Amino acid sequence: MSEPATRIYTEADQLADPIAERAPLVLGGYDFHSVTEVVAAVVDQKAPRAWWIALFASMSLLGIYGVSVAWLVWEGTGVWGLNNPVFWGWAIVNFVFWVGIGHAGTLISAILFLFRQKWRTGINRAAEAMTLFAVVCALSFPTIHVGRIWLLYWAIPLPNQMDAWPNFRSPLVWDFFAVSIYGTVSLLFWYTGLIPDLATMRDRARTKWKRLIYGFFALGWRGSNRHWQNYEAAYLILAALATPLVLSVHSIVSFDFATSQLPGWHTTIFPPYFVAGAIFSGFGMVMTLMVPSREWFGLKNLITIRHLENMAKIILLTGCIVGYAYAMEFFIAWYSGNPYEQFAFMNRMFGPYAWAYWTMVSCNVISPQLFWFKWCRTTPWFLFVVSIFVNIGMWFERFVIVVSSLSADFLVSSWDYYSPTIWDVGCFVGSFGLFFTLYTLFVRFVPQVALAEVKSVMPEADPHFEGYSHGGGQPPVASSAAPSTSEANSDHVETAPFGEPVAAVVTSIDGDQSDGDSADNENGSEGEVE
Amino acid sequence: MGHHVTLPSNESVQLPAGHRLRRFPLIFGVVGVLCLAGSWFAAGGDHKAFYHSYLTAFLFGLSIALGALFFTLFQHAASAGWSVVVRRVAENLMAPLPIFALLFIPLWFGRHDLYHWTDLEHVAHDPVLLGKQGFLNEGFWMVRAAIYFGLWTLMSWWFRSKSIRQDSEGGTALSRLMQMRSYPAIMAFALTISFAAIDWGMSLDPHWYSTMWGVYYFAGSIVSAFAMLGFSVLLMQRWGLLQGIVTKDHFHDIGKLVFAFTVFWAYIAFSQYFLIWYANIPEETSFFHRRAVNTWYVLGIYLMIGHFGLPFFFLMGRTLKKIPWSLALGCVWIITFHYLDLYYVVMPNVHKSGITASLVDGLTAIGVLSIYIALAAWFLGKAALIPQKDPRLPESLAFQNF
Amino acid sequence: MSDGQKLFGALAEFANPAELFHACEKVRDAGYGAWDAHTPFPVHNLDRAMGLGSSKVPWICLVTGLSGAIGGFLLQVWVSMHASPLVISAKPLMSWQAFVPVTFELGVLCAAAGAVIGMLFVNRLPHHHSPLFESERFKKASDDGFFISIEAEDPKFDREATAQFLQGLGASHVELIVDG
Repeated sequence: MSEPATRIYTEADQLADPIAERAPLVLGGYDFHSVTEVVAAVVDQKAPRAWWIALFASMSLLGIYGVSVAWLVWEGTGVWGLNNPVFWGWAIVNFVFWVGIGHAGTLISAILFLFRQKWRTGINRAAEAMTLFAVVCALSFPTIHVGRIWLLYWAIPLPNQMDAWPNFRSPLVWDFFAVSIYGTVSLLFWYTGLIPDLATMRDRARTKWKRLIYGFFALGWRGSNRHWQNYEAAYLILAALATPLVLSVHSIVSFDFATSQLPGWHTTIFPPYFVAGAIFSGFGMVMTLMVPSREWFGLKNLITIRHLENMAKIILLTGCIVGYAYAMEFFIAWYSGNPYEQFAFMNRMFGPYAWAYWTMVSCNVISPQLFWFKWCRTTPWFLFVVSIFVNIGMWFERFVIVVSSLSADFLVSSWDYYSPTIWDVGCFVGSFGLFFTLYTLFVRFVPQVALAEVKSVMPEADPHFEGYSHGGGQPPVASSAAPSTSEANSDHVETAPFGEPVAAVVTSIDGDQSDGDSADNENGSEGEVE
Repeated sequence: MGHHVTLPSNESVQLPAGHRLRRFPLIFGVVGVLCLAGSWFAAGGDHKAFYHSYLTAFLFGLSIALGALFFTLFQHAASAGWSVVVRRVAENLMAPLPIFALLFIPLWFGRHDLYHWTDLEHVAHDPVLLGKQGFLNEGFWMVRAAIYFGLWTLMSWWFRSKSIRQDSEGGTALSRLMQMRSYPAIMAFALTISFAAIDWGMSLDPHWYSTMWGVYYFAGSIVSAFAMLGFSVLLMQRWGLLQGIVTKDHFHDIGKLVFAFTVFWAYIAFSQYFLIWYANIPEETSFFHRRAVNTWYVLGIYLMIGHFGLPFFFLMGRTLKKIPWSLALGCVWIITFHYLDLYYVVMPNVHKSGITASLVDGLTAIGVLSIYIALAAWFLGKAALIPQKDPRLPESLAFQNF
Repeated sequence: MSDGQKLFGALAEFANPAELFHACEKVRDAGYGAWDAHTPFPVHNLDRAMGLGSSKVPWICLVTGLSGAIGGFLLQVWVSMHASPLVISAKPLMSWQAFVPVTFELGVLCAAAGAVIGMLFVNRLPHHHSPLFESERFKKASDDGFFISIEAEDPKFDREATAQFLQGLGASHVELIVDG
């Protein structure tokens, strides 16, 4: 720390050799205050027209959902394309699709937390919110699929005058417990993470109503370290609980299929294979949301290119696991010597639903292979395009599993081809309306990056950070920004279309960070696996 | 974090000349060979029983080495920082992989006792096995074994030797190279371990099948490798090595991994059992039906409790993971139950009426494990005890758990 | 100080986590009991610098989680064997395998609820009022401010001496907080 050097990390640092140096996760020379400013600006400022347009579009889709569901409830599930033997059509496909998407948030929050992947802090809030909304969409499908939705409470073990109880040996009852508990625990997890940030919003609020509402939900949080200690313990436990929970939920969803005897459904690898697929599709959706979000809301220095690259790597990994499962299923179907199994898989590949099968394989197994190339992992628009393919592919995976197996079961006389009706399409497309309406409201009213968590992984959050001269040095505040930073400033200040430009405050950090042997470089541990 | 660390000197990370671990290769080598030879005679001509015991021991030793290989590959792939100080130990634990090609030879001689699909007379009358002949035939089976051992030898040798070369060269280029190569290596690993498990374990009962099988063997393999890694490092520290290099924070992390993968094993094992139990299809339930008799049933219950229940509560809190003796106890426990898990897989094929524990079981297990330990200890003495010029070493030395 | 107002304590601001960390060590060593540090994010190891014991939350969580799992299992056994005994797909009435999923889920639900509610209970939250909120400067505690507060009820507290003590620790600003 001989001379006051200022180093503003940029994307180029992150893309440089990660083994020589772990570049930090927060770019643009932000200090604690500028992190708050950048994130809170989206919530503080008046909503721009673009947001209203987005909300209107989402709510229009939601309207389609409302109409479709209303007609369904009025008329019965016959309005869908269900037939005999395909009793589970798009509704169950959509349910599994949305539950799968709902896995990324908790994975990012919990599993990556336990594995000390600090990059999770940039995206975990939005991903958790996305999880909640996806679970809401998911839960809506079995609800409407039962037809008489007012009797749904029968799944709950409640004493009643008919003395009827749920059948606890039924996978559908496990499903009800698993998904609703998953939603509840995800909500708890999300809210717990949100408490300190709600306090931030309370303290920034300029109007009384905002202060009261944020203050109410912040529960009187005052950053007390006697509180933080218990808070961190609770957060760690929640992460440790959510990790097996997230695995169990999609495993239990897979039990809906795998406990049966239907060829193509009954296979023992289903639980981990469904979980891998869920993570795959969830990261696909997070990518779909994050690429535009960081652009529109001026969050490029917090949700950096490395966040995107790491997500791309996870998509690649889980895509390969899904490919392994496809291959293993196929091999064992042959190896089993069971003609029904063998037929089920040949039928998938070359039967009437071959178009769906090959769409699935191309999107899920082949398209992620592009992420072997660094350019593909670090080019936002390209990531966006591939993430759309991932979403499509994972929907088709569920379609292939549900429909192709059901439509051609043991008895040839009962085979039938399944085609959706306009109301199937309306429910599916409409559910995106529900999802995006909730998400649009979320970005407007809640800080979409976890402020406290991002700050805690910045190098200067460490009490032993070498940039601080010990014993009464000067704080790293904006006023001490070195003149030499002005150039860098103009390069890296984000201009957020979401309102007035956010002035990035350039930090002067007293101390040279670039010495490679310093253990400080741990901050932003890219692939630090527990 | 943040603290400056001093890199350990070259002398402090070498195995000292007169260290007792230097005697390990000879002692365990002799013990291993004697036990294996003794087990053949102890079997007293019951070849079927001998080969099954031997196969159990073989799969047991192999799984630990393969788990160590996976650990090493994954640390490179993820560019992990915390684990650098224990990575060389893992590399030494994977280095004996080629010896398993040698240990595989008895299985070739015992193939007719182990795998009844090698009996062509029998296969000709069994339409199911006839259908599988394209895969389950002796020639292809040997070719596949050669491919597995070839790839495992290549991977374990290449990653260890590059890591050792970095000890003298330093720099980031080798780290980068290892990282790049680790991705295809992991893919090759996933395929080879799955099919090896099918070839040597699942085809013992050639009518039976489970898509989970490869993952099941992998789960047991990885948890016992973590346990072996933890135990080895604890033992080395007790004997004065790696002092001040491997800290209780590293042990805590290894303990967490043992815990996490104990749960993972339970998840995989339960899912496989559960789906077969629920669907209740005769050709699948045969596996568990055979193990639902007499003492095999009891062993199944013991596995649930001993391979999952007890270690789950034992390793859950952080206190017991940070105390050396209790972590060591947890590690030995897990390794023992992993052996019993494989015993449960292999032995019911020969002792159909119930557990028939014999001296042969013990001698083969100790024999294979001793040869494995002898080689791992031999490799330990051949290079520095840690990757001393790995660019991530300072980060690993300064590592603190939360 | 007028009627109905009493002194809550002293609030000191520090420039960064490092200074706060060292100041906390000294406040701890000086023997204060009723004091606290306020930061916008959890500072690594600050609980040790403050001399806090370990958190009770894990124990609460263990108890609620185990009760949830055991209760859930017993509920299923009771429903399947006594309340509504039905033979389904030839499974025995007491088929523990089939009860595992719901047992696990209820265990997790109760443990998670125990963790969050236990955390709030131990922290005595929600508690929307704090005299500290009277300080305009304290708003930074949720942004980029690092504070130590020492309460007046602490036996060692003294208006002048404590304020000077905090100043001496390198505080950039010290103020007395009055409970309004």
